[in-house]
Amino acid sequence: MNEQSNVVALNATSEPTAFNAALAEPTNVLIVGVGGQGVILVSKVLASLAQAHGYEVKQSEVHGMAKRGGTVFSHVRFGPRVWSPTIAKGEADVLIALEWAEGLRWLPHLKRDTGVFICDTKRIVPPFACRSRRPGAPMRYATETAEQVAAYVSEAYAIDATKMAEELGNERAANVVLLGALSTVLEFALPEWEKTVTAFVPKKTIAVNSAAFELGRNWIAEAKNEPPSADAAPAAAPVHAPYQPRLEITDAWCKSCEICVKLCPERCLTLNADRIATLVAPEKCTGCRLCEWLCPDFAIRVHLDPEAPAMEAAQ
Amino acid sequence: MFSDAPHFDVRDYLRKEMMPHFLCPGCGHGMALRALLWAIHELNIDRDKLAVVSGIGCAGRLSAYIDANTFHTTHGRPLAYATGLALARPDLHVVVITGDGDCLAIGGNHLIHACRRNLKLTCLMLNNEIYGMTGGQVSPTTSETRLTTTTPHGNSEPNFDACALATAAGAGFVGREVTRHVPKLKELIKAGLQHPGFAFVEVVSDCTEVYGRKNDMGSSAEMVLRQKSEMRPSAYRDSVDEPFRSTDLPTGILAQNNRPEYGAALRAAAAARAAK
Repeated sequence: MNEQSNVVALNATSEPTAFNAALAEPTNVLIVGVGGQGVILVSKVLASLAQAHGYEVKQSEVHGMAKRGGTVFSHVRFGPRVWSPTIAKGEADVLIALEWAEGLRWLPHLKRDTGVFICDTKRIVPPFACRSRRPGAPMRYATETAEQVAAYVSEAYAIDATKMAEELGNERAANVVLLGALSTVLEFALPEWEKTVTAFVPKKTIAVNSAAFELGRNWIAEAKNEPPSADAAPAAAPVHAPYQPRLEITDAWCKSCEICVKLCPERCLTLNADRIATLVAPEKCTGCRLCEWLCPDFAIRVHLDPEAPAMEAAQ
Repeated sequence: MFSDAPHFDVRDYLRKEMMPHFLCPGCGHGMALRALLWAIHELNIDRDKLAVVSGIGCAGRLSAYIDANTFHTTHGRPLAYATGLALARPDLHVVVITGDGDCLAIGGNHLIHACRRNLKLTCLMLNNEIYGMTGGQVSPTTSETRLTTTTPHGNSEPNFDACALATAAGAGFVGREVTRHVPKLKELIKAGLQHPGFAFVEVVSDCTEVYGRKNDMGSSAEMVLRQKSEMRPSAYRDSVDEPFRSTDLPTGILAQNNRPEYGAALRAAAAARAAK
């Protein structure tokens, strides 16, 4: 797109808005999330919209980690003239995060005084944050609360976009909920937003995505009306009911084949002096039931007792 | 796995007075039996409406441990007995447990004709590549070069692919799974039990004492772990980046069709004749 047409389009369509009124500096939007959440779609919609307005747009992204649930980010810069394709630390006008911890990871990129932080409270716990395979065990996941984050940035919104999208019938529309939230900050004309979103989402999901966009937009409007309660607390980490695994081993049926001993992921079984399978490290047992399933002699039965009981193997 | 619902207890479905069973330590047939009973439990099949028919051999003995209606029949003939039973009592869920020798050698003809008729039956073939009970003779599925009591210099015959055979003979549902993945095997057997026609499920099992020991395949745990390196879900079988290697064993649902079920067709024809 040449500069001549830039000027024409600018005069024709753009209105003075929160960020693009001055126009001397490009607007920086950083979109982050976990592979598979739709970060790239959000940035594509935004970039295409800005381009249609006649702005120069530079977008750079790191993707391809979708299969691993890895971090994905996309820098979108638009304005009359954009030089660098990436956003430096402390330079982002808007930070859109599709996952809670990813949002916190990229928070230093946001402008301290004027930056807007829009974050989904969805928590995707990476495998390396799990220190133990026992369900309900403590995790190395971000512990910051929404209040702490709100104190750090000038304007923060913690939306449970995933839940909102789920209620619409498609969890994957969460990114469009956030796009709807973004639309209130950037103030491109609403029909243009809707047109661009419709052009980018899969045809079968246009209805649900339009609803999701509307929902995100309205949520921000409502949040602005009642600022104190606007910041929703992040969803509590899923904690399984605490239970104690207990192994019931029928000695008379055990044939000492050692399958349970060698295939237990926690190595908490062994053969005793009588060559009968015995649980020797009950504190390590996670109750995964692999021993129960693989015992060809039906000698092991795993019980998941709700409260802390005696740990000895029965019988 | 962590739901509050009580987990399936296999002991509810066993004849406890028969336990412990006669199988050797580490035999994969026990896991296959668990998967079958688990599938029956999850489908809520009434045990009075369940008939398990089995032949001769290690696999044939399994029916004796199931607390349901069970038949222990002659060598190679469980499918023949089951055909009669399923035709006479269409209200029953008829499950055949058979071994590789029982099903493919002695009962080979019964298998192909059962596949051809497509009568509503579930045939569970436990393939351990050997006649274990009779002393470790070579079976139709023994891999080439393997040592058995009748092939002391290594098996020189090509082996059968039972699933390919059943597919070619027209079985309505053909699947294969290894005993290592008990929950997946349970799901496969469930799908087989729900199929309206003839369902053939090959369960890749281990014979540790006779086959594994003679072929130096390690302990029973090592044999179970070996299954993982050999299996490959059929979904990935011919994908571009993972071309199919002949040594791999495709698992999962391998064939499924909706040919007319024989029992219903036969009864409809009989009713039409009676109406004339």
